[in-house]
Formats: sequence, C-alpha cells, structure tokens
Amino acid sequence: MHGVVGNPAGTHRAARLARRAIEEARDEIAALTAAKPGNVVFTAGGTESCTLAIAGVVRTHRRQHERSRIVISPIEHHAVLDAAAMVARQLDNVDVTTLRVDGDGVLDLSSLHEALEQPNVAVVSVMMANNETGVVQPVDAAAAMAQAAGVVSHSDVVAAAPWMDLSVVGASVDMISLCAHKLGGPVNAGALVLRRDITMDALAPGGGQEKGRRGGTVDVAAAVGLATALRLAAQDREATVRRVTALRDTLIAGVSDLGDVAVTGSAAVRLPGTVHLTFPGIASDELLFVLDEAGVCASAAAACSSGAVVASHVLDAMGMDPARARGSLRLSFGAETTSEDIAAVTALLRSAVTHLRADA
Amino acid sequence: MKVLVAMSGGVDSSVAAALLKEAGHDVVGATLKLWGGASDSGCCSVSDVDDARRVAQLLNIDHHVFNYTEEFDRHVVAPFVADYAAGLSPNPCIECNRHIKFDLLFERAERLGFDAVATGHHAQVLPGPQGPRLVRGTDPAKDQSYVLGYLTDAQLRMLLLPIGHLHKSDVREHAQRIGLRTWDKPDSQDVCFIEASAGREAFLRSRIDLTEAELVDVNSGAVIGTTAAAELMTIGQRKGVLPDRHGEKRFVAKVELGARRVHVGRLEDIVTTAIALNQETVTFARESLTSGAKVWVQCSAHGTPLSGTLWRDDDWRIELDEPARPIAAGQSTVFYNYEEPSVVEGAAIVGR
Repeated sequence: MHGVVGNPAGTHRAARLARRAIEEARDEIAALTAAKPGNVVFTAGGTESCTLAIAGVVRTHRRQHERSRIVISPIEHHAVLDAAAMVARQLDNVDVTTLRVDGDGVLDLSSLHEALEQPNVAVVSVMMANNETGVVQPVDAAAAMAQAAGVVSHSDVVAAAPWMDLSVVGASVDMISLCAHKLGGPVNAGALVLRRDITMDALAPGGGQEKGRRGGTVDVAAAVGLATALRLAAQDREATVRRVTALRDTLIAGVSDLGDVAVTGSAAVRLPGTVHLTFPGIASDELLFVLDEAGVCASAAAACSSGAVVASHVLDAMGMDPARARGSLRLSFGAETTSEDIAAVTALLRSAVTHLRADA
Repeated sequence: MKVLVAMSGGVDSSVAAALLKEAGHDVVGATLKLWGGASDSGCCSVSDVDDARRVAQLLNIDHHVFNYTEEFDRHVVAPFVADYAAGLSPNPCIECNRHIKFDLLFERAERLGFDAVATGHHAQVLPGPQGPRLVRGTDPAKDQSYVLGYLTDAQLRMLLLPIGHLHKSDVREHAQRIGLRTWDKPDSQDVCFIEASAGREAFLRSRIDLTEAELVDVNSGAVIGTTAAAELMTIGQRKGVLPDRHGEKRFVAKVELGARRVHVGRLEDIVTTAIALNQETVTFARESLTSGAKVWVQCSAHGTPLSGTLWRDDDWRIELDEPARPIAAGQSTVFYNYEEPSVVEGAAIVGR
C-alpha cells in the first residue's frame, strides 16, 4: 500500500498504481464471493452497501418496470430497515412488505411465498445471519423463490462473513452487502457484490465511478483492506469455526444452570461468534454495567443513537415476551478468543447474575 | 466514595459531576433515557445525551445511558394522562423524581455497588439532630427542594447535592472556567415529554377524549364562554377565563367533567384556607410533625410558602392562616419547618 497516492481515475503513473491495487482487490473479493470480477462495487461500509442495494434497485425498477415493492425480513439490520423506509417515504407508490420469522428467529418462507404473489415486487432482502442472535437464515431458498418470481434478491452478509464461505453459501443471491470491520479490517470499508448485471441508480452519481453505481474517488486503502480481511478470514475458516463453536458451547454450558436463562434461537443454526442470552428479572443495563467495569465489552441488542439500550425489533419479531427481552445479553467472540477468555466471562457472568438477581 | 451522578446534559449536573471529581471521588455519570417520543429538549433528547457524554469525556469519567423509557411511561406518562382524565391536575416532574430518579436509580446504584447518588438539583442535604435533612438551595430563584419533597430518610442518606450551596451564576462560571460546553445552556422548561409547539392539549387529545364544557359564573349562573378541554382547566387558574363586566379577574372555582361545566368566580369567591391531603401520598421527613404542627406550605415549584397548621386526625389537611387561591387536586404540597423555613419536613399530593 505504501506509496499508492494517485487518484485511480487519473492517467498518470501514480494513478495507474492506485488503479492496479483497486483492481487486484476487486478480483480477489470477486473470487471469494462467487462474483464476476467487474461486479464488485466499493462503498464506505455495510450501511451504504445495503442502502445502495435497496434504494438503487427500487429507483431503477420502479421507473423501468413499474416494480416498486420492497420485501424485507423483520429482523434486518437498520441498514436495510431504514433504507427501505426512506425510499418508501421519498417515492410515490413504493411500499414495504415485512415478512415473518418463527420463535427461533428463522425466516418463515411461506410469508415470502405470499409476498412474492404480489405483482410489483422489485427487491427481496433477507440477511444471511442475524447480528443480534446469530441465527442463520435460509437465504439460498429465499433467493431461488425471488428468482422464480423475476425479483432481484439481496442479502446483508455483514454478520455472517467471518464465519461462512460466501462463494458457496448464498451464492445464488443476486447482491450481497459486505463490510471489512466485522472481518477485522478497517471501518468505513465495504462493498456491494453483484452476482449478475443489475442496473441500479447510484445514491451519489458523482463522476460515474464504479460503472456508474457509486460516484466518488475509490478509497484504495479501504478496498485493499476489505480484500485482505476477507482473504485472511477465509484462510483458516474451517478450523476457526470449529474452535469458536466449541468455545461458544462451553460458555452456554457454563451458565445454563443459573436458572431461567435461555439461549435465543436455540433450535436454529447459529453463527459461532454470537450468543444471545436472556436473564429475566435482570435489566440489561445493569448486567452490561457490571461486565463493563470488569473490562468485558458486551451489548444487549443494538444501541440507539442516544447510546441507550433499546427494545430489540429482532426479539419483538420473534414474539419474545418483553419482560424476558429486557434481560438480554449479546456476547461476541472472534478468532482470537481463547478458552481462558471464556472461563473468565463465564465466572463473571455467574457472579453478576447471582448478585443482581439477589438484590432485585 | 464511589458516586453515580445523574447527568441530564445540563449545566447543573455537569458541574455537580465536576465538583465531585475535583473532590477526589470515584465518579461515574449516567444519563437516563426517559421518553421515546417527540420532545423539544428536556431530559431525553439525543443532543442532551451527547452533551452529557462529552462533559463526562472532558472530566475523564465513565458515562452510561440507562434506558428507563418503559418505566417512565408506566410511572409518569400513563398516570399523567389518567389523572387528567379523572379531573386531577398532576405534576409529572414530581412523579419522575420520585419513581424514576429516586426509587429506581437509587436501587440500581445500590445493586451496582455505589456509595452515593448525586444530582444537580439546587437543594442541600445537611446534618440535622435526627440525621440528614433536605434544605432549600442557596440560590432562592433556583431552589428545587420542592421537587425533592418525597425523598425518604434512607434516600437522603445516600444523596449528594454538590451544587446546592451555589448560586446559578457561580455554577455557570465554574462550568465556563473548566471548559464545559454546557456552561451557557438555557435552563430546561416545562414538561420534557410535551413539545411546546403542540402543547399539553394536543398531547392529551391524542390519548384521551377531552371534554367540551361551558364556563359558568358562580354568582350570576350565566354562561360566560366555553372551553374545548375542561380537563385542562385547573382550579385557581385565570388563563382562559374572561374578566367580568366590571373588568374584575375571574378564576376557575370548580370543574365538573360529567356535567360539562366549569364554574368561575372572582378571587374572593374562590379563596379558601383548606387544603385536603391525600393520605396515601403523604411522605414525612420527620415523624415529629404531629397533628396540629405549624408549617410553611409550598404549592408549586417556585411558589410563595404559606403558613398554616397540619392536621393528621380523621381528614388529613392543612388549614392555612390566610385564605389563598385553592390548590387543585393532584398537585403537590411540600411542608417546610415553621421555625427553620428552609428545612423540608415532608410532602403530599392534594386530595379532593
């Protein structure tokens, strides 16, 4: 990366160097995600990728094919939920259909079947795995149903990317949104990967970069950072998945006798690196406070813009009792997590839960 | 001492945290997220949380946001709406202080291992013969002892009020001196969950049916006007009531929601010496306040204290020495010591 300072769109030597770094990153990402090399659109992260996928496709399809309905799962990240809401607010005749999930947080494919019976669907968006619960979604089945209905499919794979081989899982989805920082790469680096040519309006057309899909000078460091993070995650993936899954299950076993503790989505396939637990009778705020004081960075659901822990739309969509949802804790692990870390967190969690319950 | 400071994002609680930190305490800031709906500013907006967080960063203390939106709705907003529907005139700030800031936050602070809770209220906790006593703040224009009248003895023992001995101008100067961005932030006004542009009436109208009513003069029996929301006519209020034909001011004397009638009269028609107390809501700081004790009674946040006698026999009530405008049921009265008029003795909500 050192010395690459040119604008990749320029014509001079420095520009050629920058351009080459970008195109090598693009090729590498395409190879790791079952895309054709030219179909990787660099963005400033997952939120922009999701917004481009939803808004870009709906704007084009509404104009060209009179298709203007957005179909989303209820457990999508706000990157997708808010993009859909924004387009519906800004454009006439754009509507959003929200699908259903079951009690484990898995997409109900019959609700997608019903939604696709509507004639005007432009895009279907179902995340590959949920960021709060880690529950893996049937995205290939959803993509096949969308394809049969002539509808563009999108999947937010941000949470799943460290753990799943994107050249295999969800390879039939038309568009996937990626970001680097969940893979250990830089923040503000992402891509929208297309598996076939899809016309879409840019959010900011600018100078027509990225085949007119994303204007603005491409960030060379971000592009290389994303490609590198993706490559490193793929290298030892199988071994890492096995090891972290075992750590996750050790943690669950270590707290399961605390009484009235539940693993969210316990009957579903879940990512190795995420475990969502509920401890009714304890406020998440207090559990997080105790963990934070001990140096453990955890979360409850998702943080709202004020920084407060707010009720989770994901748990709500699953039909979870709000009293149970208030005692939520989400722990995340990575490839560097050790069994000592798990033992320490287990001990801390046991004492915190016992103490906070006794005083409640 | 390990102290949890409730930081609203305003200048008072910012300086409270700063003073505790300067005094060498182990200080953690917490901002309470109370209201999830639209609001002007008050205690709950994102920008206030940002202010509090930035002040905490400058003071180099940890800062947390505690979400009490559900409890706020249950203990403050829902009773506020229900009280209006029942013809009462509630004070939501009192309920918020009592249930959220002092009950729930104190309990949480204890569970989380804090020795004390601090707020930026203009009031003081000073030692008394039988333990700590709540005393008015030094700045008479800013004194907030009224909203703290329901604190229990146990809560007073755990409470620190680091700015109660300062004048507001000193608080602002201190904030400016240490470079806090909140130093010239305006004081918060009115109810935090109601937007000033829409007002109380619009807030209530979206939740309950409001009663159209006639305004009837108590002397002549003549209908002098109408109101779109009798629930919002508070006994003793002059706003929204026309003067009589001699130009004499008229006030709300009685509200009958069922009959859709609001009685109005001249000051001399409505003044009274009796304030009925709701026994269930009486909190005494000191049990020495026996039936027949002389007290000073304050009936609004910055109202003038009135002298009277507290009766605790069959009907709990205050008998004022001089007639005064009546206090609407649902409002709070705070009693101050007769000999030491800055010392809070207890509080109660006015009954019917």
